[in-house]
Amino acid sequence: MKRRLIALLVVSSALAASALAAEEAAKLLGDESDGSRAQPIHLIPLYAENDKGEKGSQIDPNDPLAMPFSTRWTCGECHSYGMIHAGWHFNSVDANVPAGRPGEPWLYFNSKLGVQVPLSYRSWPGLHRPERLGLSPAEFTKIFGRHMPGGGPGEVTPTETEALAEQYVTGKLEVNCLACHNAHPGQDQGSANGYAIQVSKTNFRWAAAASCEFADVTGSVTDASPTYDPFFADESEEGAPRVIYDKKAFDAKGNVFMDIVWEAPKERCYFCHSDLFCGENDQKTEKWCADEDIHMTAGLTCVDCHRNGLHHDIVRGYEGEAESSSNPMAAASSCRGCHLGDENGDRETGGRLGAPVPEHKGIPTVHFERLTCTACHSGPWPSDEPVLAKTSRAHRLGTINVSKEVRILPHIYAPVFVKEPVADANSPARIGPHKLVWPAFWGTLDANDSVQLIDLAVVDKVVGAALKDVPVVPTGDWSELKEEQVAAVLKALAESGETKPVYVTGGTLFELDDTGAVTSRKDHPAAAPYAWPLAHNVRPAAQSLGVGKCTVCHATKSPFFFGKVAVDSPIVAVSNLAKAQYEFQKTSLARTWFFAFSFIFRPWFKVVAIGATAVIGVVLLLYGLKALGAVAKVLSEQE
Amino acid sequence: MFQTVAIAALIVTFVGIALHWLATPAGGPRCPLSGAVHVFSLLLIEQKSSLLGALKKLCYLVAMVCFVVLAITGFYPTLVKGEHISGFLMYIHATFAPVFALCLAILAITWAGSNRFSFADAPWLTRLLRRVTRLRMPADDRPWRCSLAVYKVAFWAILFLALPLILSIVVSMFHLLGTDWQYFTLAAHRWISLVFAIAVIVHTYLAIRLRMACRE
Repeated sequence: MKRRLIALLVVSSALAASALAAEEAAKLLGDESDGSRAQPIHLIPLYAENDKGEKGSQIDPNDPLAMPFSTRWTCGECHSYGMIHAGWHFNSVDANVPAGRPGEPWLYFNSKLGVQVPLSYRSWPGLHRPERLGLSPAEFTKIFGRHMPGGGPGEVTPTETEALAEQYVTGKLEVNCLACHNAHPGQDQGSANGYAIQVSKTNFRWAAAASCEFADVTGSVTDASPTYDPFFADESEEGAPRVIYDKKAFDAKGNVFMDIVWEAPKERCYFCHSDLFCGENDQKTEKWCADEDIHMTAGLTCVDCHRNGLHHDIVRGYEGEAESSSNPMAAASSCRGCHLGDENGDRETGGRLGAPVPEHKGIPTVHFERLTCTACHSGPWPSDEPVLAKTSRAHRLGTINVSKEVRILPHIYAPVFVKEPVADANSPARIGPHKLVWPAFWGTLDANDSVQLIDLAVVDKVVGAALKDVPVVPTGDWSELKEEQVAAVLKALAESGETKPVYVTGGTLFELDDTGAVTSRKDHPAAAPYAWPLAHNVRPAAQSLGVGKCTVCHATKSPFFFGKVAVDSPIVAVSNLAKAQYEFQKTSLARTWFFAFSFIFRPWFKVVAIGATAVIGVVLLLYGLKALGAVAKVLSEQE
Repeated sequence: MFQTVAIAALIVTFVGIALHWLATPAGGPRCPLSGAVHVFSLLLIEQKSSLLGALKKLCYLVAMVCFVVLAITGFYPTLVKGEHISGFLMYIHATFAPVFALCLAILAITWAGSNRFSFADAPWLTRLLRRVTRLRMPADDRPWRCSLAVYKVAFWAILFLALPLILSIVVSMFHLLGTDWQYFTLAAHRWISLVFAIAVIVHTYLAIRLRMACRE
């Protein structure tokens, strides 16, 4: 028995050692830094993918039928693509990845059909998975891949034969390393022939090449003949995608110098992570009128805080992230981490990167328990009504021919001060600024009273036909719907075979009663707005809420508590409603109002308290002196 | 920690008072209800005919009501629920606090004279000092009235503790103290309020005892 045990241990140790050795051996040249702060030079050969999905031949710029280079096989020569591919930006489709704090959804909208649905592959509460709307990963990628750095749904291998055949032609949307790491100013994500356009043309395989400065892509998969095979194409194929490489970019060995940097420049992040907050009353805001995040003006870049290593498990930067993140910098890279020390109370990390350690003079400590740092420091200054916000991903900012209308869908409102758990459902809830969207979609009610989205194809066909006379608004705003039209659509959906059709919009669920009339419900969870935290732009400390006076928030008309959040809907009767900010903070009007009202008397409180203290102090002093006098008298009488 | 210490301290105080009451009965009705009414009447209703006396009693009445409200609103969430004071409890607490401070200031002025210490308050101390220091101090062979001495000590303790108790909150409302000091003042307010509450309870108990002794 003992011998067997020893033998088992020896075998286990040997296996473990060999596994470790294999892992060690699997490390590629660029997987681990040698410690040098100098930027490695990337003078490298480019490789394409072959028809079997493996590493193909080296790119020859003189080949008129040259394939687009593959980042998987080009960058993957020195960097473990498999590890990178599992990073935060690319792993949304992996159900095993903790979703973490709710983030920005992808917003599918159609103003004429009254649709505005927040979608995501991540399991954030309140969002819908794309397949529930009938979108395959490839279709989802075609619509939203413009602002994705590749990977994720773009690399999902379909199971259906037809979809597999399509993917054979279009290729997968590989992780586009250049989207973040190419420091060359010619990196083209959004212009007329850049990355976004290629994705929208389903040129997934060509998108990364089209974005770089030394290649140009013409044609598209959709314009090619049905028999087009990218691996066995001929020059006579019209409309098919072609890559034209800049021959001058290649050296004699066929290597290309790529201006790759470890730390992604902020301009690269901005392509997908820009925000535009419109002014009050839907006034346009020009970029030059708004300041950048204070961290940027202080000389930092995005990746100074949002860090990652090869695993690309980038720090998102919220408190509590360390519990679910494998990134060792997570705890030290939140607001508190840099400015106060990490969340475990380790003050050594406080003040990193020159972060000022705030004193918060005169701010009662309850604020730090009830509010996120961003509540006072981030986003636009709260106004009586939260303003419309545009984001790169929701509004295609930075791409060609993008609409600059203020009221174009989707409608995102900010800042809405919502009380939500900071990290997950188990963490204490705090109030913080959020962006908020009101879902609007056609669905069906199941036996459990939960709403299932109706497939987009059905919506296009049935709802489109029922609303064919509804005029399209040139600004891209909602086409106005009346309850009668909603009733007509619901009836049409019912006739098309949908059981218990409903329309959700502006926090209200519309359904047909037994008589065929439209009824509405306001408390259905499917109609609840989806809000996600807003962290940037961080304002300077001097522009924080509460600087100088408490009544910025604690007043009976303060926007923080009593601002009116518009209820967004194509139905006028619904969109005329508004919800006060305190309703999103899970508190009551009476409690909020009384507290705000009490601040009128706060100066008097201070005067009375200080006056009383002064009187008591004088009495104590007076009788203390008298006592001293009595002692002195006793002592003096001894003479 | 505060929760445990505060609960223990308050239990010890009340048990101590109960034991003292049982060990040295002060007379009066034996029924608890009629006893409570009796005590209440002794403290609040019965009053001297002068206007100042009535005002002093009124001030004391208001102060006692405020104290009860402040103690309940302040200690209930901390000791029972283990939470910080918030919401309507805090509004009530903050509303009654300045009234209490005002009453305390008036009581300080009007009661300080009658709460001055004299040699009669602690004859044992006089004797001790005479023996140790050989100072010529007036001799007083009357028995020591412990309750009166402790009553006066409690009064001065209340006044003395009122200063940091009030200032610890008022100072935090000005843009003077950073977060660390804010936490300190909050903790100071909490701990001082505990000692203050015990002093008030002892003072009230002894006030009743002394009034009952006077009637006898």
